[in-house]
Amino acid sequence: MSDLDSPSVPDLDGASSVEVRTSASPALIPTIRAVASDLAARADFDLDAISDLRMAVDEACATLVDIAAARSSLLCTFLVRPDRIEVHAVVETGNADVKVSTDTFGWRVLQTLADDVAVDHAASADDSGSTVGIKLTKHAGDLPR
Amino acid sequence: MAEPATQDPNARPPRSAEALGLDVDHPRPDAAVLAVSGELDTLTAPELDAALRELVAAPHALLVVDLSGVTFLASSGLAVLIQAAHRAEDSDRPLHLVVTARAVRRPLEITGSDQLFTLHADLATALGH
Repeated sequence: MSDLDSPSVPDLDGASSVEVRTSASPALIPTIRAVASDLAARADFDLDAISDLRMAVDEACATLVDIAAARSSLLCTFLVRPDRIEVHAVVETGNADVKVSTDTFGWRVLQTLADDVAVDHAASADDSGSTVGIKLTKHAGDLPR
Repeated sequence: MAEPATQDPNARPPRSAEALGLDVDHPRPDAAVLAVSGELDTLTAPELDAALRELVAAPHALLVVDLSGVTFLASSGLAVLIQAAHRAEDSDRPLHLVVTARAVRRPLEITGSDQLFTLHADLATALGH
């Protein structure tokens, strides 16, 4: 589980890690998806996979910012592995009842774009609020479907 | 809508809402072309939606949306394009799209929504030249 306040970077097995923390605002999502696109390009992803990751990250962040508490932050962590990039985006929500809607057009697009996608909801330890996150994985080239 | 752009003269040009370009042209009396440039995401989709509603409300027989200048297309942008295609279809007019960039072609293809539009590689082809 991710903790927004965790200062430590987990053991990475040789993967590189990049964290981007912004205000949970739609205006900053272009910056996050630009980071995603840059990381994928440097990791030699094929052009379709770069495009897919950029869209998937945009979709995940837009979904989360939409349900984030006012004046909270969005934390997006990228783990760059030799054959794939794993993304975990997390926001704070005002209460534990806030859920990601998975019956939307955007969610279907996200599922199509990413090789693997999952939602995680977590109540914070001190009961001051909750976090909602989306984890997604994108491989460097097209997997056989 | 979006915050006004910063006035800092050293600031890079904004890349979101403020930068969306929407230009309407009538290269022929029976054709209306909406040229879009910039990034189509949750910030800019409402602007595109308004422009598309105007385009489809026009009486022109040939409706073209030129997406050559679009550098990013999210599901929110795609959704308003799909809605516009359905509205155009209601008046028996297909919505013609000019698509040149991977950033636009890929989302259309991967969602299968390319089937809802008539796609063209350039504006001249869309206009039947």
